[in-house]
Amino acid sequence: MSEFAVKVERLSKYYQIGNTRSASLRDSISARIKSFTKGKSSEKGIFWALDDINFTLKKGVAMGIIGNNGAGKSTLLKILSRITEPSKGRFEMNGKVSSLLEVGTGFHPELTGRENVYLNGTILGMKRREVKNKFDEIVTFSGVEKFIDTPVKHYSSGMKVRLAFAVAAHLEPEILIIDEVLAVGDIEFQKKCLGKMNEVTGNGRSVLFVSHNMGAVSKLCDYGILLQDGKVKKQGDIQEVIRDYTNKATSSNLYLKESLENDKSHNIVRVYTTNSNQQSESYFKHDENIFLHIEFVASELVRDLNICISVYNDIGRAIFTSDRSLENYEIGIECINKAIVKIPANLLTNGDYSFLAAIHNPYSGAIEYLEYICPISVQDNGTPYLKYVGRWFHGDVFVDCHWDFS
Amino acid sequence: MMNRIIVDADKSSFSLNIRELLSYRDLFYVLSYRDLRVRYAQTFLGLLWAGIQPIATLMILTLIFGRAISVDTGGIPYPLFALAGMTVWNYFSFVMAQSGSSIILAQEMVKKIYFPRIIIPFSKGIVGFVDFLITFLFLMVLMFYYNYTPTIRILYSLLFILLTVLASLGVGVWLSALTIRYRDFQHIVPFMVQLGLYVTPIAYPSTLIPEKYLLYYYINPMAGIVEGFRWSLIGGLPLNQYVYISFVCAFLLFISGLIYFKRTEKIIADIV
Repeated sequence: MSEFAVKVERLSKYYQIGNTRSASLRDSISARIKSFTKGKSSEKGIFWALDDINFTLKKGVAMGIIGNNGAGKSTLLKILSRITEPSKGRFEMNGKVSSLLEVGTGFHPELTGRENVYLNGTILGMKRREVKNKFDEIVTFSGVEKFIDTPVKHYSSGMKVRLAFAVAAHLEPEILIIDEVLAVGDIEFQKKCLGKMNEVTGNGRSVLFVSHNMGAVSKLCDYGILLQDGKVKKQGDIQEVIRDYTNKATSSNLYLKESLENDKSHNIVRVYTTNSNQQSESYFKHDENIFLHIEFVASELVRDLNICISVYNDIGRAIFTSDRSLENYEIGIECINKAIVKIPANLLTNGDYSFLAAIHNPYSGAIEYLEYICPISVQDNGTPYLKYVGRWFHGDVFVDCHWDFS
Repeated sequence: MMNRIIVDADKSSFSLNIRELLSYRDLFYVLSYRDLRVRYAQTFLGLLWAGIQPIATLMILTLIFGRAISVDTGGIPYPLFALAGMTVWNYFSFVMAQSGSSIILAQEMVKKIYFPRIIIPFSKGIVGFVDFLITFLFLMVLMFYYNYTPTIRILYSLLFILLTVLASLGVGVWLSALTIRYRDFQHIVPFMVQLGLYVTPIAYPSTLIPEKYLLYYYINPMAGIVEGFRWSLIGGLPLNQYVYISFVCAFLLFISGLIYFKRTEKIIADIV
């Protein structure tokens, strides 16, 4: 028995740009004629989505695949799921594979919930007998027992997702390939699914997991690879890989850009957190103000820009965002501009947080966009909720609401 | 048993992998079931439509070819003659039309999960059987009505049904693969169904075709199959020697369809 679950060797995939090959007969015929008269078409329109990927996933290990959009994560999962074929290289998998690139694949609105469970389960690779055996469990997990014989078109989107997830959660593969499917559904249900997935890895199964949600990745995975421009930039212990990704070198409360990126008109060069005494700090008490300092350099004057920050909780979900137009401030060109954001005391509850800092045009998109930077911890030192810490998740923020009784 | 998957870009496999197909038989069943359920969902008459459609067509054919033109069917009552042809032809045209666009219609699935893609057009072959059985039953009733007792020749009908399935899946698989590459075929298929009705001896006997064209006429696999099926059930004119061209064509279509599909399968998710 071999001890690896997945072994990937020299895996590469390219796409032809601008030639999708499903255009029309006329295009295809004229292309044939052209290549006949002008010789072979050149390779100029080739885009390497994956370039020489190598890794081994041991049995019982959960591996996170992280990287920016367009780094090749989805392409890698598609190849390993055998949805598309690699252009070069090979991979080998030992064990029964289930891939979840989407929940509810094949759901048909005219069919009832019951029929869709069978349909979806079979599409995901279960036998009808297996679905039958787990049917009650699936329905209970989904919480839509009452509507199981109603056509799915009458379901709310939430119910549909729950039912679809319930089916997926009951797959019993030896290797599970899972894409960012956790992004759907409400937070409570997400946690339920994360729990179910933890069970999966706990049972000695191997998992390949793609997500932007660093919290989920670090919770679920032991090992990680960081993809950048179709190449493996780093692989190893997941915490180190995440640190490498969420920012260079340290997990300190300081983000520092070594050199300006010349293709950007605005560069955020330094971000850090301080307490009220202007001292750099990454541990805060609940009743302390948190100051986020952002320093940026502009190479030219650009109109209609906003600067914004978001605060992420430990599973990488934004809790809130604060946004200001730069129009009303005098922005110096080719020098450091400073912005200080005060996050009021008595807001963030016990837990770990990180930040997003961005400069963007609200209509056309971001110029500078730094996610998961400057991780900090907040300690509850006396809210009425302190007694629940560790037992009951009471929310990311504390709000002192006004209550009236009569 | 260990499940082991090896994918290697440098070694292209060309086998159909029957074992894998068999392991996906539940998917066959479920996809066919879905198609059947959805087809008549929210229709008032439901499955009755599967009976009404051939009856209506039969009435039109009988009025035009039986009464108005009165073609020579070699002594067979015209409705029986036409319905025998329609039984296999309807199956063929249904599978052809359905599988042509089948993969495009299933593209959401194809882009998200792996399974042998050929299941999609093949499952249409199962769906078509329901209509086929209904028409076949109707044909039996009509035979009884006209006092036609089937002879031992009826056993041959199984062979012709098998050939029909081969030809239908062959054309279906060809069209589903071609439609992925060239959407043009979405417009060509309805035209092919229409044309097929005229170049197949359904409403008229092949004796109307001049001898010198027969060689080409039977390149259409359904030409020979329709005549063979009709002959096996209700007799009439003996089969001419050209029908074998049709049978060979049905086989060739099926085999070549599988090969072409296999070649297209690799890139389906990239181009659909």
